[in-house]
Amino acid sequence: MNKDQVMARLTKVFRDVFDDDSIVLSDNTSAKDIEDWDSLEHINLIAAVEKEFKMRFQMKEVSGMKNVGEMASIVAERAKK
Amino acid sequence: MIFSSLIFLYLFLPLCLLSYAAVKRVSDRNMVLILFSLLFYAWGEPKRIVYLLLSAAVNYICGIGAGKAKPIFRKIAVGISLIFNIGMIGVFKYSGFLVENINAIFGAHFPVPEIAQMIGISFYTFQVMSYVVDCYWEKVEPQKDPLKLLLYVCLFPQLIAGPIVRYSTIAAEIENRETTLQDLSYGLSRFVVGLAKKVVLADQLFRIVDQFLGSKPEDLTICATWYGIIVYSLYIYFDFSGYSDMAIGLGRIFGFHFDENFRHPYLCKDIQEFWQRWHISLGTFFRDYLMPVPVFGIRNKYLSLALVWLCTGIWHGASWNYVLWGVYYGAFILLETKIGKKKMKKVPIVLRHIYSKLVIIIGYGLFYFEDFKQLGLFFRNLTPFNPNGFFSFAEQMSFYNNLFLLIAGVLCCFPLLDIPKKITEKHEALKAPISVVGTVCCAVLLVLSSILLVDATTKAFLYYRF
Repeated sequence: MNKDQVMARLTKVFRDVFDDDSIVLSDNTSAKDIEDWDSLEHINLIAAVEKEFKMRFQMKEVSGMKNVGEMASIVAERAKK
Repeated sequence: MIFSSLIFLYLFLPLCLLSYAAVKRVSDRNMVLILFSLLFYAWGEPKRIVYLLLSAAVNYICGIGAGKAKPIFRKIAVGISLIFNIGMIGVFKYSGFLVENINAIFGAHFPVPEIAQMIGISFYTFQVMSYVVDCYWEKVEPQKDPLKLLLYVCLFPQLIAGPIVRYSTIAAEIENRETTLQDLSYGLSRFVVGLAKKVVLADQLFRIVDQFLGSKPEDLTICATWYGIIVYSLYIYFDFSGYSDMAIGLGRIFGFHFDENFRHPYLCKDIQEFWQRWHISLGTFFRDYLMPVPVFGIRNKYLSLALVWLCTGIWHGASWNYVLWGVYYGAFILLETKIGKKKMKKVPIVLRHIYSKLVIIIGYGLFYFEDFKQLGLFFRNLTPFNPNGFFSFAEQMSFYNNLFLLIAGVLCCFPLLDIPKKITEKHEALKAPISVVGTVCCAVLLVLSSILLVDATTKAFLYYRF
């Protein structure tokens, strides 16, 4: 799966989780850019991404992810198609 | 030893500063800090210093294992560290509580271990756990020099009541640091501000708390009960944030830059914001190391929320009232999450301030009363069901007698120290006179604190026991 495909599916997940169809993701999008993205909602987001891509994040990734670009890279590397 | 004692202020600290300044190499300065830190800890816990050293040794080895060994051994190393650290806290902090509850639930008669709690165990143990996990997660390089790791574990400014300093925050400064004149000036003034918060405000406010909540809270009127708990909320803030100020100031004097632990928490507009401003180092610890744990193998925000707030509660003490206090905050954060940030922001700001302050102040009842019967009477006495009436002269007298103290307490919840900073940013010419006024104020506060310390039986910090 290439990164563009990952970003497209991630955008859908983000819009569902944060209930906001105006979200447009870029590599640099971070919790600062999405009002509801706090530490608690981050857990829901991670769970939704894991479900969408049928993969599992490691704890250090859940804790240390800085932006969407990092998330997309991990997903692109590990996701089952 | 505690910071707000004459022996610390006029013997320990000057000797430490002189010894530190007398040597120039960083390794020698580290050694001076280690020796003084061990002396500082041994002053209160002479025998239990062994456990502190053991903790440093075990986590030193585990850190190297977790960061450098083959994958399977890395997992074993981090596992050993977690078992050891949680085991230490379990034995020294929770074993009596656990056995008491097992006896109560199963009608058993196991002897309740009477282990006095170790000073600062919850702080330094959390620090070393974060270090080993960070090594495992490859966020930091394991420290190869055991003395440098020992310095991280036992550094006296943050050893016994935090902040919970991450290794990554001071790793570079352990290797190499210098104290500029600006650092020294900032560190000393920050320390004096913290000292004054503790001695001039917190200790004096505690007299009121003790008068009203300490003796017979069941006999209080409605006003006296509210008065007592509001003063308690001021007391606890100045006690704990004063300690953090002193720790951050002392750290700066020795060239370390610790992160802030408080950001004017009572200015919060909701409970989520309160916890982003109160005891920040504990909140970020749980956010980074506990929140990502899949509870029962499931990632779910509600399960994570429950885990974090149960742990926040129990971290504060081995008693059910602290558990309840954690659950209480978890419930309000759940409520705010359900309402959503956008809707919360639509509520008038005055109402949000009233709501958050009420939740915080009433919540301190759960924090203060370990006895559930007294806790129940306290809650009753806050309401019109109070049989003692609305008002008595006792609280009126206390209020008028302590009016200046109370006004100072409320004012100091605001970021007053930012005012001179903002003025000097706009008017460069005022920098020198404001700096002189600041120095004079610090000198006055130091003298005042010292006079109060001479005249008082020293009260330990509330968070000392955690």
